[in-house]
Amino acid sequence: MSERGLAGRLRAQLASWEGFLLLVVVLLVALNAVATPYFLTVQNQINLFQLSIEKIIVALVMTFVIINGEIDLSVASVMGLAACAFGWLFQQGMPAGLAVAVVLGIGILCGAFNAFFVVAVGLPSLVVTLATLIAFRGMARILVEDRGIGGFPDWFNRLGQQPLVGPFPMALLVFAVLAAVAFFVLQRTAFGRRVYFIGLSREVAAFSGVDVGRVKAAVFVASGLVAALAGLLYAARVGSVRGDVALGFELDIITIVLLGGVSIFGGVGTVTGTLLSILIVLNLRNGMALANITGHIQTGVLGVLLILSVMVPTIRGWAARLFGGGEAVR
Amino acid sequence: MKLFSVSALALGAALAGSVAFADTIMAEKGKAVNMVLLPKFLGILPFDQANRGAEEAHKELGNTGTLLYTGPTPENSVAGQIEILTTATSQGQNVVMLSNNAGDQIAPAAEAAQAAGTKVVTWDSPIPSGKGESLFVAQVDFGSIGTVMADMALSIIGPDGGEFAVLSATPDAANQNAWIAAMVEALKDPKYAKIKLVDTVYGDDQSEVSYNRALALVDKYPDLKLIMAPTTVGIQAAAKAMQDEGLCDKVKVSGLGLPAEMVSYTLNGCAPEFALWSFVDLGYLTYYTSYLLATGALKGEVGETFNAGRMGDFTIEEDPGRAGAKRVLMGPFTVYTKDNVEAAAK
Repeated sequence: MSERGLAGRLRAQLASWEGFLLLVVVLLVALNAVATPYFLTVQNQINLFQLSIEKIIVALVMTFVIINGEIDLSVASVMGLAACAFGWLFQQGMPAGLAVAVVLGIGILCGAFNAFFVVAVGLPSLVVTLATLIAFRGMARILVEDRGIGGFPDWFNRLGQQPLVGPFPMALLVFAVLAAVAFFVLQRTAFGRRVYFIGLSREVAAFSGVDVGRVKAAVFVASGLVAALAGLLYAARVGSVRGDVALGFELDIITIVLLGGVSIFGGVGTVTGTLLSILIVLNLRNGMALANITGHIQTGVLGVLLILSVMVPTIRGWAARLFGGGEAVR
Repeated sequence: MKLFSVSALALGAALAGSVAFADTIMAEKGKAVNMVLLPKFLGILPFDQANRGAEEAHKELGNTGTLLYTGPTPENSVAGQIEILTTATSQGQNVVMLSNNAGDQIAPAAEAAQAAGTKVVTWDSPIPSGKGESLFVAQVDFGSIGTVMADMALSIIGPDGGEFAVLSATPDAANQNAWIAAMVEALKDPKYAKIKLVDTVYGDDQSEVSYNRALALVDKYPDLKLIMAPTTVGIQAAAKAMQDEGLCDKVKVSGLGLPAEMVSYTLNGCAPEFALWSFVDLGYLTYYTSYLLATGALKGEVGETFNAGRMGDFTIEEDPGRAGAKRVLMGPFTVYTKDNVEAAAK
């Protein structure tokens, strides 16, 4: 009994998308470890996260946005605007600490701006955030023009570049904390359930007495705030800013979230899926880089991943039939 | 005692002298140095040419290590360069030769590389602050560009003089504007008195726009003898426009261009002279400099003179454009004519 039960449970686990992702992560780590001696070094493992830390932080909040049935294409432009606004304010003589606070406020405003047009005006978020993708980037470029701004205070650069606790830099700790918060809020709170509910059906949620507008607004504001935080972390990590900071990051971020099993139509997905997907993308990139595979091929592989990720529901169906675990298909 | 101190002084002077007048540093062949050539991005000809020069030097020096040519995609240039530099550090590569496209954003990664023992030598485009950079191998002294263009204009238009116009990139392209200003300054010399700059137009560094602007110039100035385009896109488009309209006998084209793209126009007389630096040579010199640094033969200090194979001797100097940074200057512009363009176009 017990053996068959165990096998059955294992089959059910594998049939779930998260189970499949976990298998891929294990495979990738094993392959990387065999392929190159540099992979398992502590420094490489930290670099692996650190090089994409801003993207994966924003991917956490993007998980909420997409499960909620919306999209936020403006995140990378908010990151760019945040980084450039910080540089500009600092250059105008504002103390860096105060500038950080102001920039986080700007992030909230950006999110609120998106939320206003999506929730109050009722425009599709695809259009609204496409417009703000352009607008926020434009503002960033106006602020710093074609220059680079650097020379930030030592404490600011140190936080971005040096280990803070043990070998871990601050951004990695921020990511860990935000991941825990995201997991708790989405999977364990009433607010999280409302996010799913609205994503599944906005109308049903509204008729059931859920304040749809409020939840959506909260998610967009959180998206703006976290993106601004990510922009600041980027500025600290590279020690200077330019108008093209984080240009194009939104596509990588959305790729990660969709690969994690979050449905582009809303209502489906988990923070765990996003976290596993993050591990896959980072390990894949790092492994390819250590194997000296050029950027063009890396981009191609990520493109294949994206196609794979939008096929998630279909693949889930196949997997379920293959392993016979019908109940695993949510 | 006095004698002793005098002799000590003499010894000191001798030592100092031996440093100051040290022989040219030569590369010791056959060492194992792992090197990475990191361009701004992959997929355009000049960087591939630089790689060819690096491969030539790699073979010549009998390096038993590896030479890796890798780069990001154009859309991901900044983050990609930082990632590749960081990965190269993890791999324990000895030198990364970087054509920097990330401004100072790459400085922390370069400093981390240096701290871990990976040298960072920039070429083509330096790290603006110089932080994390061992040396910059500069292609040309951009200060000389004004004279180079004025001389080509004089040589093409001839001693009888005439009108010419500039076809530039965009109105706010910093490089081009500086170069045009340098040329205008150079033209004040009496020897250029008979050649006259009548207009400056912009082709936005797009082939089609540049092509049309070139034709519009010919319509507007019937006596125009030359179009000077300080951009590789503009010069090629202008030359094609003159060739297509059968105007090459009347209006010539010159400026900054790539030999591979200009060779047919130079041979058929549409663009008899143009200038650029050789990216093959730049890759070759960068490789030599990096190899010497990585093997410890070169300390990377101002005043050191070293030999770079077929290109001869070079000396490390202060970079006049960046305080505290050091550079190796490759040399003057190469002016290409029908005599040397074919060899360079390969």
